[in-house]
Amino acid sequence: MIKFFEKAPYAPVDYCYDVEEILYKGKSKFQEIMVIKNPHFGKMLILDEVVQLTERDEFFYHEMLTHIAMYAHPNPKKVIVIGGGDGGVVREVLKHKTVEKVYFVEIDEEVINISKRFFPTVACSIDDPRVEIKIMDGAEFVIKRPHSDIDAVIIDSTDIIGFARSLFTTDFFIAVKNCLTDEGMFVTHTESLHFHKDMVIEIQEILKKVFPLVDLYTAPIATYPGNWWAFAIASKSLSPRKTRRKFDIKTKYYDEEIHQQSFMPASLYEKLMQRKLQW
Amino acid sequence: MLRTFKVEKLHASLIPESTLFKVLRYVDKENIETPSLLIDSTRVKEKVSLIGRHIKNSKVFYAVKANPDIKILKFLNDLKMGFEISSEGELGILSSLHVEPERIISSNPIKSLKFLKLAASYGINYFSYDSADEVDKLSEYVPHCNVYIRLSVPNEGSEWPLSKKFGVEIDAAAALLSYAREKALNPLGITFHVGSQCTNIYNWHIALDKAKVLWNEAEMNGIKLTLLNIGGGYPINYTKNVVSIEAIEKNVNSLIYDNFPKDTEIHIEPGRAVVGDAGILVTTVIGKARRSDEDWLYIDVGVFNGLMESVGGIKYSYIVESYKHTKSKKRWTLAGPSCDSFDVIDKNVALPEPDISNLILILSSGAYTVSYASEFNGFSIPNTILI
Repeated sequence: MIKFFEKAPYAPVDYCYDVEEILYKGKSKFQEIMVIKNPHFGKMLILDEVVQLTERDEFFYHEMLTHIAMYAHPNPKKVIVIGGGDGGVVREVLKHKTVEKVYFVEIDEEVINISKRFFPTVACSIDDPRVEIKIMDGAEFVIKRPHSDIDAVIIDSTDIIGFARSLFTTDFFIAVKNCLTDEGMFVTHTESLHFHKDMVIEIQEILKKVFPLVDLYTAPIATYPGNWWAFAIASKSLSPRKTRRKFDIKTKYYDEEIHQQSFMPASLYEKLMQRKLQW
Repeated sequence: MLRTFKVEKLHASLIPESTLFKVLRYVDKENIETPSLLIDSTRVKEKVSLIGRHIKNSKVFYAVKANPDIKILKFLNDLKMGFEISSEGELGILSSLHVEPERIISSNPIKSLKFLKLAASYGINYFSYDSADEVDKLSEYVPHCNVYIRLSVPNEGSEWPLSKKFGVEIDAAAALLSYAREKALNPLGITFHVGSQCTNIYNWHIALDKAKVLWNEAEMNGIKLTLLNIGGGYPINYTKNVVSIEAIEKNVNSLIYDNFPKDTEIHIEPGRAVVGDAGILVTTVIGKARRSDEDWLYIDVGVFNGLMESVGGIKYSYIVESYKHTKSKKRWTLAGPSCDSFDVIDKNVALPEPDISNLILILSSGAYTVSYASEFNGFSIPNTILI
C-alpha cells in the first residue's frame, strides 16, 4: 500500500498514513488540496501536506472548537466562522437553535467545493439559508465590520505560520473584540501543548493585551501532531468556563461535563504561563 | 495583505516556532527599516536558564563581544547574569548599567594597559593570562588579583577555532602559575576554549584531561587551584541541528566530577549560545543579476556590515519572502551591498526566487554579526531590536 507522509513543518514527528486511494489532488490559488482514503480514518482532507480532518475523528476538533464558546454564551444569534472551509464548524454552530446568522468567511473557495464533493457529512450545513458565505480573507472581513453585533467569532485556520498568520495579529484581535457584543466569545486553535507550548503561551499573552478574559482549554486530536490540542478562548465579560444554557444538542464527544473538564486546572495554567513547565 | 514567507521544515527544525512567530508579527506590524537584527527576549531568557543548569557549582558569564548591544546587556543584567569582557569599551557599557564588579571577569589573555587600569579601579578581580609579560602587567596594575592560566587545547570540530592565538601547553602553564605566585598574584585556576561553535563533544574531554594534568602539576608545585573556567564554545543551529547544551553539560559535569575536587568552582563564558539563535536579521533584496550562468542575489547586509563570520565558514539559513506559486528554487550566489568583490556571503544557496524589495530573514544571526560590523562604503550596521 502506498503511504502518505505528513509534512507539518513544526512537528518533531512525521505521521505516516496508509493510502487506499487518492481521491483528489489539485492546486487552488492558495494551497495544494488532497483527499485520500485511509483504512482506519476513512477519507482525509489534506492541505499543503498537512492533515486537516478525517471522516472518523473530525468531530473531536469541530465540536470542541465550537461548543465551548457557544454554550458559554447565553443566547448566541450571530456567529462568524473564519476558515473551516470543510464546513465542520458551521455544521456544529447550526446545531444551536438560537443561531440566526452565520457569516462563513473562507479565503479558499476550492476547499468548500472539495468538501461538498468528498465530505458530505461535514459540509452538510453549508447551504443552510442562515449561512452567508464570504470568499475572502477573514481578517479583512472582521476589520471592516462596522457593528458590535456578533456573539461568537470562531477561527478554524491552518497552521499559524503560513497564510493564516493574518488571523493572529494584534490588529485582528482588536477588530474581533470590536465586532463582538459585550457577551461575545472568541475562540481560536493554538496548536499542541506538547509540541508548541511557547506558541500557546505567546497567543495567550497577546490576547490578554486585548481581551479582559482569556482562557485555555484542550482536546485530544489523534491526527494533529502533538495530539493535546490547545484552544485560546477570549471574551469581554463572561467567563468561558461556565455554560449558560441547557445542553440540548446531539454530539459525539462534547457535553456539559467535558466543558468543565477541558479547561486547564488553575495551577497548571499558572505554571504554563510562568514558563515553568519543562517538556 | 501580510507578507508571505516560504518557511520550510528545515527552518522549523532550526529555530523555535514562537521566535519566528514573534519576528513575523514584528515585521508585519512595524514599518521595519532594514537591515535590522531582531532578538527574541523570551528565547534569550530560556537560553540563560538552560546554560549552566547541568554543571554543578557553576557561574555563567556572558561573553559581551558576541553582541554588546546595551538593550541586550541590560536584559541580561536584570537576569543577574555575569559578564566576560576584554576592553574599556565593554567595561564602559557595563559600568553605565552599574553591574557589580563581582559579576565581571576578563578572559582575554592579553589586555591593554588602559583597560587594566580601568578594570582595577572598577574592582574587577578575575583575569586570565598566558604569558610572563601579562603577569608583570597585572602585578603592576591590579596587584594581588585572581588569575587563571589559559591552556591550549585542540579546536578540531569547532567552526571558529581560537587556539592558535591563545593558550600555552601544560609545562609552560605550570611555570606561569608559579611565576604569578612569585609576583604576588593569586593564581587560582585554569581556563581553556574548545573553539567557538564547537560541535565536537570530545574537545571538552581532551581539554579537561589536559586541565587535570596541569591541576596536579600545580599542586605539586604547592599551588592549590580552585577554579576551572571552561570557556564557551556551545554551538547553535545554523544549517543543521547540533548537539544540545544539555548533552554537552551533562558530559562535562561528569568529567569534572570524576577528575576534580568536589568544591571546584566552574566558570562558563557563552556568547553565541546566549544570543545567536535568538536573533534574526531582517534584510532586503536590493538586486538580482545573472552573470555567466551564475545567479546573483544582493541584499542590504553583507560581509562588512554584519555577516563577517561567513568569511570564516559560518553558513546561515535563510527564509525568503516570495509570492511565486512554485516550489522550485534557484542556486544563488548571495552577496552584500558594497562595491567590494570580497563582499560575497555564500555560494550555491538554494532559495526560492524573491523580487526586489522582498525581505530575507537570516536565522541564528544574533551573535558576532553587529559586533563585527563596519559601515564600509556607507552601508549601515543593522539596528538591534529586542522583541
